[in-house]
Amino acid sequence: MIAGKTWREVRVIALAYVIILEMLAVPVLLLWPDIYADLQRSTLFQAINWDWLKRIGSGVSNSNEQIAYLNWCSVMLFFRSTNLVGTAAAVLIGTGLFARERESNTFEFLLARPVSRSSLLWQKFWPCALVVTIPIILVNATVVPLSWSLELDLPKWELFLASVHAAVFALAFLTLTMYVSTVVRVQAHVASIVGAFAILQIGMYLTQRIRPYSLFRLVDFDWYGPIMSGNTPAWQMFNPIHGPGFTTYLLMGVVLCYFLSWRALRRTEP
Amino acid sequence: MTEPAVAQPAVITIQGLSKSYDSRTVLHGVNLEVPRGQLLGLIGPNGAGKTTLLRCLVGLVQRSGGSARLFAHDPATESLAIRRRTCYLPGETGIYHQMTGARFLKFALGFYPVHCRDLKERLLEQFELPLNKRVRSYSAGMKQKLALLATLVPDVDLYLLDEPDRGLDASVRYFLRDVLHSLKDKGKTIVLSSHHLSEVESLADRLEFLMQGRLVSEQRLLRARAQLRRQPRIRLRPGQSLPAGATMVRKELDGMLVVTTENDPMQWLRGIANDVIDSAEIGVDRLEDLYQLLLRDDLPLRDDGDEA
Repeated sequence: MIAGKTWREVRVIALAYVIILEMLAVPVLLLWPDIYADLQRSTLFQAINWDWLKRIGSGVSNSNEQIAYLNWCSVMLFFRSTNLVGTAAAVLIGTGLFARERESNTFEFLLARPVSRSSLLWQKFWPCALVVTIPIILVNATVVPLSWSLELDLPKWELFLASVHAAVFALAFLTLTMYVSTVVRVQAHVASIVGAFAILQIGMYLTQRIRPYSLFRLVDFDWYGPIMSGNTPAWQMFNPIHGPGFTTYLLMGVVLCYFLSWRALRRTEP
Repeated sequence: MTEPAVAQPAVITIQGLSKSYDSRTVLHGVNLEVPRGQLLGLIGPNGAGKTTLLRCLVGLVQRSGGSARLFAHDPATESLAIRRRTCYLPGETGIYHQMTGARFLKFALGFYPVHCRDLKERLLEQFELPLNKRVRSYSAGMKQKLALLATLVPDVDLYLLDEPDRGLDASVRYFLRDVLHSLKDKGKTIVLSSHHLSEVESLADRLEFLMQGRLVSEQRLLRARAQLRRQPRIRLRPGQSLPAGATMVRKELDGMLVVTTENDPMQWLRGIANDVIDSAEIGVDRLEDLYQLLLRDDLPLRDDGDEA
């Protein structure tokens, strides 16, 4: 019941989210044959003083077109689209989860229903989790037939792994926003807090000396490029002991934020 | 020969219940027992702690001290079991404005497995709500009616109603009184808080006054009400002064004078010439006056278990 209500509340955002992701994916990929030639000629990336941007430049202008295309997809589909739109969608959906209920005086009504608070949290969370994650995987899957039209191949399994990682990152932002939404009473304040946190992380990413400490380090080109090339198999994504295990770190973040939300909701009063 | 009345088991048992927010204490050691099938009216001024008490009962707010049992369950640890048998109407009407009335009703009733279908039809017929329209287009009274529908239709054992008559006109309030009576006749237990003393008094089996987080003792209440009955409210004709034998307590905004008489107020009124007084009220308990008197009274608020 609560899940159905939550779905009805976020379905418009879900539709807009899918359309935006798709619109960001299709045109840039269709640019490919022309832009590849331009990228090979360009000296722009070499002129820039940021190492990570130089690596992107050399990746997308690789002499092997197939490798260059995989890098292009890593940059455009993941480093740009899902990081940007996925995070924004997660924040947008997460802010209202509990703060909006408080603002519209429906929180007390909801807490007084014969539903446990754990169930309330779960029924609000899972539809939003699906809305945030499934479009990333679906939209990225639509890129495969598009690539065939360019007579290029996108490895489906690697694309799926990268999409899963991107989805988990968006999910981490959703649970973080959900936690803030359980403890902060005003929706705008929730958005401001999480938005400021995201901007801070981006700022950290752009600052060379503290870049490794930024959350966006877990979802940058240096991470997606090897996944798309098949150099980071699933076990490495999920194994923090013998591999980078970034996906597991993000999943741990999801679990932690979910636990904090549950604890905050259990103690909260209308 | 009539059979002796069988004492009903208590649905609500509260002992020494207190609630504090930081340094502010909202409830001070409240003791209360509500047997099954009773309609209890909880009266008190704003900020007296009525809402907090109801919230404590349904487990929305954790008490700071004392104990509470509803259906033998502790609201602090077993609130879900209580909420399965209880419907709570919050004081601030919380309705999803983006939903239509029908959608909200379906959503709210969906949490309870059994509904009083005849009551639902009766309420729908009386309230005449445009259920196909979005709630955001409803007036405050219509929202309250919708909230009442969502609260009264589920077939549960206990109804906790925080100011159910808020925003309702007189005819709907009378109708609501009938509805609550019919629920009581079915053996349901009802606790309602209100500001309308006369209406709650005519409806409730029992009244409890909550003042500054304490229940007022019956002795104190009786004394205050007896004192109030000695205070007639009169409106003097233009140019007339207060007749002898009475002292003015205050002049109200509507021009009525509240006075105290040395002797029986009825006798005093009878002894006044018709051209002096335009109108008079006597023996009417006005809640505001009662509050004023109770606040001034130096009797303890509650004799039993009062922590103060």
